[in-house]
Amino acid sequence: MEEKGRIGIPRALMFYRYFPLWKVFFEELGWRVIVSDGLGKRGKIIYFEDSCLPMKLLVTHSIGLKDKVDHLFVPRLVSLHRDYIMCPKFRGAPDIVRLATEGTVSILDETVDLRTREHSMLRSFLKTGKRLGADEKEGKRAFQKAEQFFLNFQKGWEDRINQLPLKQVFHLETPALPKSEEKPFQVAFIGHPYNLFDTDVNKDILSFARSLGMRIITPDGLSEKEIGAQVSDLSKEIYWSSGREIVGSLFHFLSGRVDGVVFLTSFKCGIDALLQEFIRRRLKLKGGTSIPLLVLSLDEHSGREGLTTRLEAFRDVMEESTH
Amino acid sequence: MKVTFPHLGTMHIFCKAIAETSGIPYIVPPETSRRTLTLGVQHSNECICLPFKMILGNFIEALQMGADTIVMVGSGPPCRLGLYDLVQKVILEDMGLRYRWLTIPPRLTWQAIWKNYEETKELKKELSWKNILLFPYGLRMGWKKMMACEALEKLAMKVRPREVQKGETQKRLKKALSGVDEARTLRTLNDALQKGRTLLQETGQDFSRVPLKIAIVGELYTVMDPHINRGVEQKLGELGAEVTRTSWFSTHILRSLRKNKADQNSERIRFFEASKAYLGYDVGAECNLSIGEAIVRSQEGYDGVVHLMPFACMPETTASGILTRVGKDWDIPILTLILDEQEIEGRIQTLLEAFIEMLQWKRKAA
Repeated sequence: MEEKGRIGIPRALMFYRYFPLWKVFFEELGWRVIVSDGLGKRGKIIYFEDSCLPMKLLVTHSIGLKDKVDHLFVPRLVSLHRDYIMCPKFRGAPDIVRLATEGTVSILDETVDLRTREHSMLRSFLKTGKRLGADEKEGKRAFQKAEQFFLNFQKGWEDRINQLPLKQVFHLETPALPKSEEKPFQVAFIGHPYNLFDTDVNKDILSFARSLGMRIITPDGLSEKEIGAQVSDLSKEIYWSSGREIVGSLFHFLSGRVDGVVFLTSFKCGIDALLQEFIRRRLKLKGGTSIPLLVLSLDEHSGREGLTTRLEAFRDVMEESTH
Repeated sequence: MKVTFPHLGTMHIFCKAIAETSGIPYIVPPETSRRTLTLGVQHSNECICLPFKMILGNFIEALQMGADTIVMVGSGPPCRLGLYDLVQKVILEDMGLRYRWLTIPPRLTWQAIWKNYEETKELKKELSWKNILLFPYGLRMGWKKMMACEALEKLAMKVRPREVQKGETQKRLKKALSGVDEARTLRTLNDALQKGRTLLQETGQDFSRVPLKIAIVGELYTVMDPHINRGVEQKLGELGAEVTRTSWFSTHILRSLRKNKADQNSERIRFFEASKAYLGYDVGAECNLSIGEAIVRSQEGYDGVVHLMPFACMPETTASGILTRVGKDWDIPILTLILDEQEIEGRIQTLLEAFIEMLQWKRKAA
């Protein structure tokens, strides 16, 4: 199929969950997908607004891409759950990108709001397809294929992050290797996907964790029911889907069979700041936990050395408590 | 039972009126002070917004004084305000303080009514028939007092930039407000309001001045509470600027009751429409309105805009990013002040002085 043009996807925010879906969809419609490079060691962050690091990275990546592509894909993610919403910053993200790129590139910013029928994932992608000149039939076919691929991809997710070098986790062509040796520690890593898997945010801490003999478990594998069981008795419902997932999975893992739990948060993340306080107090009121918990707060100034020292110490604590 | 409520601008005056008129025992938390803030900061973390810390501090102080029932206005998504109660309850519990909690739902939904029923089930037993019968009257009294406070504050904003003796308006406003506070019946309240009006109008004023016009926009707690914004409104006024703001209790209450579409709401709708050039979606809280108001005020010929937000506030962070562009596009100076627990009163004063001077130069040049 001939190439219709290029679509740029910034390597930021929900890229770290939905990239396979997005990529397959656009490729099915005959567009070439270009992803921004990582920041690398000397990468410069562009400070357009005074937000959390993942949001700053969205702007940085978008500006890096804008001259190389015909369209920039920055969907307006209002809600990715039937009942719960995303952080309010996501609602303004395409507008921030539009101002930062000064209108030099067309931005595909269809709204995704799974609480309504009108903005369901399929509808939103059909609208995006329409803007790219695809009719409804083509769009539907591409979306179904993308969705199928995405579901398969997610099944192999845990193997991917434990076997592949983290830079290659989103190389969709590379298959995950079958499970290899047993690791001595099962550690749950909790946080927003862009904190967990963006190596520019977390300084590639997952690779280091792996080299310390930890098998990484993520909340992605948990079912809605398992998360709900931990948060259903709260005096008020947590209305952010990510916050709900964080609190639910954290309490799930702390009562379960893992050796340790690591919570990665971004500095200035409003949701994490509030829930962190809640988690700490609630744990204390419940009489503590026998499973070690480490909270790491990340921003552009956090150095790899500081993080690795704390992770090493954390491993020692886990060793102590298992013996 | 002893009811308490957080401080927010003049809220204590009319919350007190409701409780007093309906005969419910209450405790007003001590005026927000350095100690309040320190207590709030101690029991939360650095990235939680400033209103959370202030309110928490108020509650801790009130509970220590013997209050046992907290009444708090609820709110909904997407801002953090809607989950304040979830976290504050756990914090108070962890501190070993005993309390009962009553949330006033922001919107009347079935879930809210059910929750309210659950929460009030115990409390109702402690209320007498007299309390319940007098409650509507209390609400009416509270509403009247709220409107009186707002009228006086609005008047003070007009008088302040023209006052001859610096700081006199503030003194008179305080006196007028305490007059309202002390009124027991609707008739005495009316008298107090009239007295307060004349008191303010009698301030020595220099009518030859043409004050600068500045609009304060931003997150509602930081805009409405002088303790949180370190008296930005008063400072601007005393530097010679006539200040306007659209965040008042009445605006927000009427908005959540979805009443009064013609008056206050239409202004908000106008702001919202104006913001659409920059924002394609309702981000939530006051974000869109901050942007829209800045645009509309520039069209109306205002000299400048002061944008207030707590550190790490989620919707306003987006707004502040966009406002830098709005200022350029519409040629209106915008000063964003980010507030947290640091002692920054002196810095704010300097910033405001510089801002005012810049506006005066700009006016002369035009």
